[in-house]
Amino acid sequence: MTRASEIVVVGGGVIGCAVAYYAAKRGLRVTLIDQPRRGRATSASAGGLWPLGESIGLGCGVIFYKAQLEQGKVAEAGGPSQLPRAFLDFALQSKALFPTLAGELRETGGLDIELERTSLLFVMYDEADEAFARPLWQNCPCGRSLTEWVTPEELGRTEPAVTRAARGALRFNGDDQLNPYRLADAFRASARTLGAKLLPHTEVRNICVAKGRVIAVETAAQRIPCDAMVNAAGAWAPEIGRMAGIDIPVLPVRGQIVATETLPEVLSACISTTDCYLAQKRHGEIIIGSTTEETGFDVGVTPRALKALTAGAIRAIPFLEQVNVKRAWAGLRPGTPDELPILGPVEGVASYYNACGHFRTGILNAPLTGVLLSELLSGAPLSFPLEPFLLSRFGAHRDTGASRVGRAR
Amino acid sequence: MPRTVIIDLSSHREILWAAEETAGAIRADQLIVASGAYERSVPFPGWTLPGVMTAGGAQRLIKTLQVRPGRRALITGTGPLLLVVANQLRAVGTEVVAVLEAGRHPRWPQFLVKARGEWGLLKDAFEYWRGLRRAGIPLRFNHTVFEAHGASAVEAVTYGPVDPATWTPIRSQAEQVEVDLLVVGFGLVPNVELTTLGGCDHRYALELGGWVPERDACMETSIPGLFAVGDGAGIRGAAVASLEGRVAGITAAEHAGLLPRAEADRRRAPFLARLESLLRVRAVLDGMSRIRPGLSELATPGTIVCRCEEVALGEVQMALAAGARDLQAVKLLTRLGMGPCQGRNCAPAMRSYLSHATGRTAAEVGRINPRPPVKPVRLGALARMTRAMPADDPFQATIREALS
Repeated sequence: MTRASEIVVVGGGVIGCAVAYYAAKRGLRVTLIDQPRRGRATSASAGGLWPLGESIGLGCGVIFYKAQLEQGKVAEAGGPSQLPRAFLDFALQSKALFPTLAGELRETGGLDIELERTSLLFVMYDEADEAFARPLWQNCPCGRSLTEWVTPEELGRTEPAVTRAARGALRFNGDDQLNPYRLADAFRASARTLGAKLLPHTEVRNICVAKGRVIAVETAAQRIPCDAMVNAAGAWAPEIGRMAGIDIPVLPVRGQIVATETLPEVLSACISTTDCYLAQKRHGEIIIGSTTEETGFDVGVTPRALKALTAGAIRAIPFLEQVNVKRAWAGLRPGTPDELPILGPVEGVASYYNACGHFRTGILNAPLTGVLLSELLSGAPLSFPLEPFLLSRFGAHRDTGASRVGRAR
Repeated sequence: MPRTVIIDLSSHREILWAAEETAGAIRADQLIVASGAYERSVPFPGWTLPGVMTAGGAQRLIKTLQVRPGRRALITGTGPLLLVVANQLRAVGTEVVAVLEAGRHPRWPQFLVKARGEWGLLKDAFEYWRGLRRAGIPLRFNHTVFEAHGASAVEAVTYGPVDPATWTPIRSQAEQVEVDLLVVGFGLVPNVELTTLGGCDHRYALELGGWVPERDACMETSIPGLFAVGDGAGIRGAAVASLEGRVAGITAAEHAGLLPRAEADRRRAPFLARLESLLRVRAVLDGMSRIRPGLSELATPGTIVCRCEEVALGEVQMALAAGARDLQAVKLLTRLGMGPCQGRNCAPAMRSYLSHATGRTAAEVGRINPRPPVKPVRLGALARMTRAMPADDPFQATIREALS
């Protein structure tokens, strides 16, 4: 090759920034095009890195399941469904990248991603919670080594802020947290340091495909010729895909979250219950999440969700009753029918790559997504098998009827 | 509903209210937002020292808490409120060394011609001005504060002249004075959090204090049935606010089918005529104390610009160097505006700073998106949320009576 390839990454959320970073690190010439939209999921993330918790349906999964159960939408069948092994392996491998990555990003971009070892505690209130948790402990896909059954006494000792009404907890060691905005910023700043070009507040108007190959990306102001493009547009990925003639079954799935005022350190672990999850961030606020709603691109918050989340938080941490809410807002997760991300090439459109559909785990899975895409773009061997994540798993991708999220399960 | 705050407004006119112990939602067909204004903060070195306070803060100490805010005061800022506070301070025995008005001297004859028919608006200001003259308090035009000094509280203030067109400080002519109170009043900023959350279109109007909702002649915003009145829709003062409230009220009643069109027109007409006359004079006043970009040059890299999150101007400058071009990007990089005030205090000053530094318009620099709750509320109140209206609602009865 006489010159480095020109890569255009569309989307400046955590995924686009990760792809830009790893591609620039490999010496590719990267242009990152970012049109911030209200409700981008990166800005409404709690920053949990919970490969185990997420894969067995903790965090938002179990809250959503309970809500469905109460509305009679699912039959009692022992808790939220688990994601396939490939998801857990992907998430674990991505999670393992963070400690090194944190140092790299501090060096290159000058930003601290506030990575903290916290563990995740599933706090149990009743028999149903115990019945859900016990088999997870006994048959955890990761083995027993990373899980720990916590008695009420131990829970009271390690997390004195948690309600005494709890019947104990299941601890997942290795499920940690960071500051999600900082992660995106650090990827972006580091990519810039490595030579990536940023086009902030720029909308992609058109993708030029000639002879079955993407040859350029057009914005209002310019045409950017490229050797490859990456669709990292989150909940807006279908819009971008359509410009290249590709149907992407991604739907916005709203998640509302609440942040408390800044508090002294009261939680050492992240907490997951059937009502909500809670994570205290380095700065002191506690993030309380989250709903799972298919309400299109509406990014408002609803009285119902505020009530449910705050009541759930008080049930878990009673003293929060007297604490002020600082903010409530919503983000649009890019949901897919099987809850797995959509990664890699698409048959029939050369030089086009997906890096979208990360649903609830964009922060956690950003590093490995960035690594894989940079490998694809530079023709290097892949560090993780791509097959389970290809768009082709959904069948014909030129179909117009995108199936609904969750139906495939 | 006394002691109740509004914490959110959805785009379909549903408001979320909160009181000490509970909260609730009300969906309104016609909704009038009269959200008022808050004082504009202008950061300069030393502005966070005890003894430096806003004009409103000083008034509150005097009038509500009946406390003398200091022994020896300097007053700085712009607008007639400075004269009011000077007289109030004098009345409680504070020595006022000077009033520094950043704007130019009003050219009275020319001004009076434009104010024809609305003397009332000027009479009070004139009285305050006379009070100042009688007490021998100097009023210095095109002057402003440069820096407040002191170890644990303000002990001295450096001030000086500004360029009349831009208000850029002319530091070579700085002077210093020893005071234990510095009152700062750079006018008001419309509180548009609710109309923004409600989905109304807004425009940036420097002369009205900042972002304001777009409205038609009857005060209706771009969201049908949602009205905005008073300083929350643009700083125009109390007289204008009460007229706007009447027009909006009549129109809301008309929309609700309680007043026939002709009757509504008849009732609105005198208020609309009076508004037109008042606004002509306001335009002249607004032009004099319109905030100028040179004030952005007062802060130094070490000056705190966001008090909630303790962000210094130097950090904002680093964010600019890292590629940030708007308030939202600066917020994400520095935490500016991420504290409890949601940027109410820092955003107006930083908007001008970013415009000044990048050459971009206020609209391009953008806004910090307000998010609910716009007023503090406890988790416990939200957790006890109810759909029911409060049982005892004297307000409803009053409205019905007024309309019958």
